[in-house]
Parts: sequence; C-alpha cells; structure tokens
Amino acid sequence: MSEITMPRLSDTMQEGTIARWLKKPGDEIKKGDVLAEIETDKATMDLEAYEEGTLQQILAQEGETVPIGQAVALIGTGAVAQSGEVGSAPVQPSTAVTGADEAETAPAKAEASTRSDGRTVSEGGERRAIKASPLARRMAEEHGIDLGQVQGTGPGGRVVRDDIEDFLEQRGGVPAAPAAPTPAPIAAAPPQPAPAAAAPPEAEVVKLSRVQMLIARRLAESKQTIPHFYVSSEVDMTDALAMRQTFNASAGEDGVKVTVNDLIVKACALALEKFPEVNSTLKDDQLIQYKHINVGFAVDVPSGLVVPVIRDTNIKGVRAIAREAKGLISRARANKLPPADLEGGTFSVSNLGMMDTSSFIAVINPPQVAILAVASTRKQFVPVDGQPVLRELMSMTLSADHRVIYGATVARFLQEVKGLLQNPYSLLG
Amino acid sequence: MAEITYRQALHDVLREELLRDENVFLLGEEIGVFEGSYKITAGLLSEFGPKRVVDTPIVENGFIGMATGAAMLGLRPIVEIMTINFIVLAMDQIVNHAAKIYAMFGGQCPVPLVIRTPGGGGQQLAATHSQNLEVWFAHVPGLKVVAPSTPADAKGLLRTSVRDNNPVIFLENLALYNTKGEEPAGDYMVPIGQAKVTKEGADLTVISYSRMAVMALDVARRMEQENKLSIEVVDLRSLRPLDHETIINSIKKTNRAIVFEEDWRSFGIGAEIAALVQEEAFDDLDAPVKRVASLEVPLPYSKPLELATLTGAKQLEDAINELAPRRRRR
Repeated sequence: MSEITMPRLSDTMQEGTIARWLKKPGDEIKKGDVLAEIETDKATMDLEAYEEGTLQQILAQEGETVPIGQAVALIGTGAVAQSGEVGSAPVQPSTAVTGADEAETAPAKAEASTRSDGRTVSEGGERRAIKASPLARRMAEEHGIDLGQVQGTGPGGRVVRDDIEDFLEQRGGVPAAPAAPTPAPIAAAPPQPAPAAAAPPEAEVVKLSRVQMLIARRLAESKQTIPHFYVSSEVDMTDALAMRQTFNASAGEDGVKVTVNDLIVKACALALEKFPEVNSTLKDDQLIQYKHINVGFAVDVPSGLVVPVIRDTNIKGVRAIAREAKGLISRARANKLPPADLEGGTFSVSNLGMMDTSSFIAVINPPQVAILAVASTRKQFVPVDGQPVLRELMSMTLSADHRVIYGATVARFLQEVKGLLQNPYSLLG
Repeated sequence: MAEITYRQALHDVLREELLRDENVFLLGEEIGVFEGSYKITAGLLSEFGPKRVVDTPIVENGFIGMATGAAMLGLRPIVEIMTINFIVLAMDQIVNHAAKIYAMFGGQCPVPLVIRTPGGGGQQLAATHSQNLEVWFAHVPGLKVVAPSTPADAKGLLRTSVRDNNPVIFLENLALYNTKGEEPAGDYMVPIGQAKVTKEGADLTVISYSRMAVMALDVARRMEQENKLSIEVVDLRSLRPLDHETIINSIKKTNRAIVFEEDWRSFGIGAEIAALVQEEAFDDLDAPVKRVASLEVPLPYSKPLELATLTGAKQLEDAINELAPRRRRR
C-alpha cells in the first residue's frame, strides 16, 4: 500500500485544499486518472495518479487543507482493507470537534496509539521523555497539543516552535505565532472555538477560500505598505471604437473579436516600453526594471478576482492579445488557470468599463508598482472649434507606488497611453 | 546629518567637557605633548594647559590611585590607559579602591572617575597587547562599564560617563577609531545601562557590543538581503549595568539568540547573557543560546594565525545558519 501525498503544484504553494474527490475508496485507479481537484493559493488543479491499484482510503476529506507532502489517500492492490463504511470521515464520538479538525483527528490518533504501543511509560512519563524546547512546550500547553503527536525536527529530534506551528496548521487551527511580525488579518480568529460560535445569530459565516484569503492578505499588505497616489486622465475613444468596429467586421463570423480592453492592454504595453520605471519592482532599496513587459488584467471570477498575465504584451499584435485574453478569461471563469498564467506580471489593468462606472481607483498588485483603472466610455459633448461635438470619452486612473514613481512620470505615462488610444492605428504596428 | 569618526567624537566630547566644567581634567601616558598614542587628545594640552591635561609617568597603579583621590575630593578626572592590557597593573586601585570607597565609607564621597581605554585585537600586536578584558570589570559591583560601537554612542556615553558620579570603565576599540558614523546634534547623551536594537528582525537575535556589534549589523544586513533571514541585532552599549529588558524583549520576539563577542568564550559576556536569558525567558527559548567568541589561546602575532584565532563575520554567519529556524518568520 502506498501513500498519495499532497503535491507541490506551484512555487509558492505550501499547502493545498481538497476541493473534490473524483474517486472513492474501492475504485480501480489507472495511471493518469484524476483522483481529486486541489485548490492552491493560485488555482485549482488536478491530482493525478502515478500508480495503479485500488483506492484504499481517503485521508483528507473535501474542504480539508493539508501541507505539501502529507498523505491524502492510500492506494494498494486488492480489495479495500477496511471493514465498515469507507469514504465517510472517521468521526470521533467523544470529542466535539470543529469541521476543520474532524478529518485530521483520525491519522493523528493512529499515530499516537502506535507511539504509546512502543512505550511502556504512562502519558505523564512520556511527556518527560520527549525532547522539546521550552517554547515548544509552552505552545503545546497553550494549544492543548500532546507533544507525543508532534514530529520533532530540531537537533536530536527536539520539538521546536516550527514543528508546533506545522502541527497547528495541519490540524487546521491558526498558529498563534507569538513572534509573527505581521498581523495577518485571517489569523485574528482565536484558534480553538468553532467559528460559528462567535458570529451573531442573524449573520451567516462564510469561510474564505484559499484564493480569497490570499487576496485579502495581499491587498491589505499592498494598501498598508505602498504609498499609493493617483493620476487621472480622460481619453477620447471615438476613433479607437471606430477602428475596433472595422477591425472586427473584417474578422468574420469565427474570428476573434478584439475588445476595448485588448486595445488598452496593448496601449499600456507600448507605453511601458518608454517608461521602464513603471514596469518595475522595488526590492531592498533597489528598483528592478524588467526587460519583459507582461501586462495582467483583472478578471472577475466567482471565487473573487484573478489577474492572468499576457507575456511580452508589447511585441504581440492586437489580435494575438485578443485571442490569448479570451482563453485566459474562459479558463479563469472555469477556475482552471494554471499558476503559470498568473505569474510574472509586471503591470496590471483593471477595467470596469462594461459596468457603467464613471471613474474608480485600483489597488496596486504587488510586487508591481502601478495599476491602471479604466471606467466606462460615455458619450459627451466636447467643444471643437467652439462648437459642441459628441465624442466617446473614457476616464482612466493610474495608481502608482510613490516610493519609486513620481507624479510627473505618471502624468507623462498616461499622456502616452492616451496618445496611443487616440491614434489607434499606432496600436497595430 | 554630518559624519564624524569615532576618534573625533571622543576628542570633541573631551574638549567640550573640559570647557564645560573646570573640575574635569585628563591624565594618562603620552596624552599631552605626544597628543595620545591614538591622538584622541590632540591639541588639548596647548588649549587647556598642563594643569588640565596631565602627562603621567609609566605607572598605571600610581596615576589611577591619584585620579581616585582627586575624584574623592571633588574633581572629575578622565584617565586614559593606553590600551586595556596595561590596566592590569592598576587592578588594585580600580577594584579595591575606586569601586568600593563609596560603599565602604557610608556614601561619604562618590568617585566620579572615568577610565578610557581601548581593547581588541586584529592589529598584529600579539598576545599581551590585543586583549579583551572588559568582563573582569563588568564582574565588579561599584563599577560601571560601557562599550560604545558608533561615534554617536561614543559621544553620548562619554558625556554621560563624565557626568556620572561612579567610576566608569569606558571601553574603546583600536579598530573602531577610524570608523565613521552620524554625528548627533547638541548635548547628546546616552544613558548608561541602555542597550539598543540597531536592527529589527524576527528569525533570531544577535547580541553584541563594541566592534563586534558593528560587524554583527553588517552581517545581519547582508544575510537579510542574500538569504531573506530576518535578524535582529542588539548592541549592548553598556555591560554593567546590563539592560535586561531589551535583551529579554528581543528573545521573546525571536526565541533564538547568539552572543557575538571578541573576548574568550569561557566566563565571558556570552556566558552571562545565556544565563540571564534562561533565568528570565526560559519559556520563550526555542534553542540553546549560542556563543560566538574568540579561540581560547594567547593571541598569536602571525597574521594568518591571528585571523584564525579571532572571531569574525564568518564565524557569526556559520552560527546564524546553524541556529536559524526552519520556517522563516517573515
């Protein structure tokens, strides 16, 4: 019998949540079969089988979050070994546990019992035999953890703070981490009581998904650490809209239609060529200017918000951008974006133009230093030679990181974007 | 803010204190006509005359005894001992007299005496001229011991020491004299007994003083950039009294500590701090306190051997890598 463990599906992944099991215990598994869907901090991905056999037992239930490398299921040959109903979570009858704890209790219990089998000392005696740092002991006491259940990774197998924190994360509790320097908003909840207990009776408690927690953390961090400032401008989109119409008419029935957003993305990419400081990141008192221009654009998805990236946007044609953006949006909506599509962005565009907005400002997507917020295009009378003429005006606002970019740079950058959009054929070069 | 050398900082405070209080006077070997072996007292004899800047014979026990007597009678002597290695000759005057007179005679006369002296190795001055003996004095009740690492702290602590009514051992370091740092404005004072967190961090704490505190800060900054380790650095500044609060608060934050000291390891500053930490922050410790100190041999003259003997950045880096927690704090 072998273990199926939580795989590492992206560079930043530390743990994953079982979104859905597609196989159940007793099912025959072939190599390459999709066993489950895993939600990571970036996307939802398939967990594939690398060996054949029968799915013997599911160790991590749907909704459960486990760290990389921890077993989520057992696979073996022959019939399912266990008697009793497989598939349902082994419930501990005597302890009232919260949902997150429930499934985890089973393997932990099993480990504890094998340990005590091997030792003749009582529980009190066992405590003394376990090597643990004073801090780890104190934390274990505070969180009601039996040190015997914790794998020590310090010198000589000593249980140290890291091990307790690992254990707490696996258990689904929040690591209290007295030393944690940044108060993560999600960590504010007390570790022990069930979340529902804290909520007022007339409110519903919705558990945030991994992606939502990540968004919450990163946006709070962005707004708290980056001194944002904003510069707005109005663009006359009349010619751009006309060009787009001609362009799309020539594309035929099955051709990819270019959207206003595609034109804006392209305009930003071309403008970034001239303003490398906007296409940069601040790292350890150094400004790192990227050679590549990878523009991301915000996509509204059921689980929150994702920003897929179009690589080398500046050297791609408008139609290529349109085709790629279309694919990214549909994959994003299906929650099937691989992490690669979400990485490497150097600038972002957030467009609420389709939702009748007059103007808005966006929060910078770190480690980037600027984001463009684009509102709706509206018909307005504009004086031309003293006469009112109806034009299509669009408001856009750039949020920039004032640590590295200054007002005049942003104004010139916006001027460049505006110029490109008002002379839309320059976007086709 | 203007930059100033450690040497200039000391010189400026001596001059200002001579100007401020006519009871202040300097004495020591070669400090007048020769202007000091390390030129800290340059120009002061010609400005203040031989009553305020006194060249002494080569007799440490004699002139520290003389300074102690002068302090008892209301003057405020500042003694320069050419290097800490020669202070050994005056131990009786310092330990048995200067440190004890106030307590033994019912508080009748305080002893406002400052003994300035540089310690430290690395100059190829061999075993008898390169020692770090500060721990001998930090052990003795009745003395205060300070060891600034920057020009600003040198200024602030020397002023405070001169105006303190107890005997103060003011530890300098040969390798710090030419270092530069910001010059604090005005009558800047640093209280004795107050350590300073010179860099905030989350993964572990390096506790140090004098030249090693400068090195610790450099190493911490570099490793933070290279390895993403977040290292907190505590510069003790005073060895006696020792600032328990700053040390313990840092341990409570990082849970792991290294004491980085140029002196010998056994019975050293690190031993004292390790003991303090286990007494006052046992339940916050996630690993034993590490001591990084110099090898316990009389310091060789040969440059390669001297380098191999003295502790330094490499030793500290190794210790940090060994002690760093598996999970980074930030």
